[in-house]
Amino acid sequence: MTDPEFREAYGQHKDMLYRFAWRMTGSAATAEDLVQDCFVILLRNKAILNRDRGTLRSLLIGITRNVARKHLRSERSHDELDELNIASATSRPIDTDDRERSETIARVVAALPPLQREVLILAEYEELSLEEIARAVGAELAAVKSRARENLRRVLAPLLEMKGAAHGNRE
Amino acid sequence: MGTGNDMENDPKLSELLKEWRIPGAPPSLDTRVLGAPRKWWSFLLTGSIRLPVPVVVAIAAVLLVMAFALARQRTPPPPASSVNLADFQPVLDPNIHIIRGNHDAQ
Repeated sequence: MTDPEFREAYGQHKDMLYRFAWRMTGSAATAEDLVQDCFVILLRNKAILNRDRGTLRSLLIGITRNVARKHLRSERSHDELDELNIASATSRPIDTDDRERSETIARVVAALPPLQREVLILAEYEELSLEEIARAVGAELAAVKSRARENLRRVLAPLLEMKGAAHGNRE
Repeated sequence: MGTGNDMENDPKLSELLKEWRIPGAPPSLDTRVLGAPRKWWSFLLTGSIRLPVPVVVAIAAVLLVMAFALARQRTPPPPASSVNLADFQPVLDPNIHIIRGNHDAQ
């Protein structure tokens, strides 16, 4: 990978990786660190580009995802994140102002276990196909589909219910 | 979800999730990954450009032809086959004798 190619790859994917890292970790500063780490890894291991790992986007997501998970493991134990976290996250009224609603959604997404969170973020926010997500996270397609279904059951349905309830109350 | 999965049929859900907006990467990340942006004059000192090989070959060929043409123009012309009259001195006191022929006396 030449210097111009590296710069082009960075320009093309930095925003997507930054948003992904931010949503995975919940921190802008950490997201910046992780994206920097991702591109440093890419620079130091140019040979990984030659591997049959699909598109450059999948490869970069895979690297960012790995550094994000490493960071999350060092930060806290995710065994503590269970249904209670989601319940507490969604216990506040969801239909207040934009900022509060955004924060509530962030908390709900953050309460997901990392494997499900990354599927939700990549599919919903970055609009990757499930096949591409499977490639990026190095998982079977069936496993990714299963995580997507689990997301719907655990998080998204309660979110919608709350939004519906809030609308109902207002009316 | 966004594309091709079980949640695709739930646009309300997508709409709700999209309310969590995040800006793009900050300029500080550019500096961290790519280094500080170079000043325009620094390019003149340390910059480099990449050219495709065919372009380089074409430029070299054109330069070669131009150099050859220039060299031909500068070659001194061959000496001319004319007489040099630079040191020619006219005769100052010409002593002319007129010799008459025999047929004049008759």
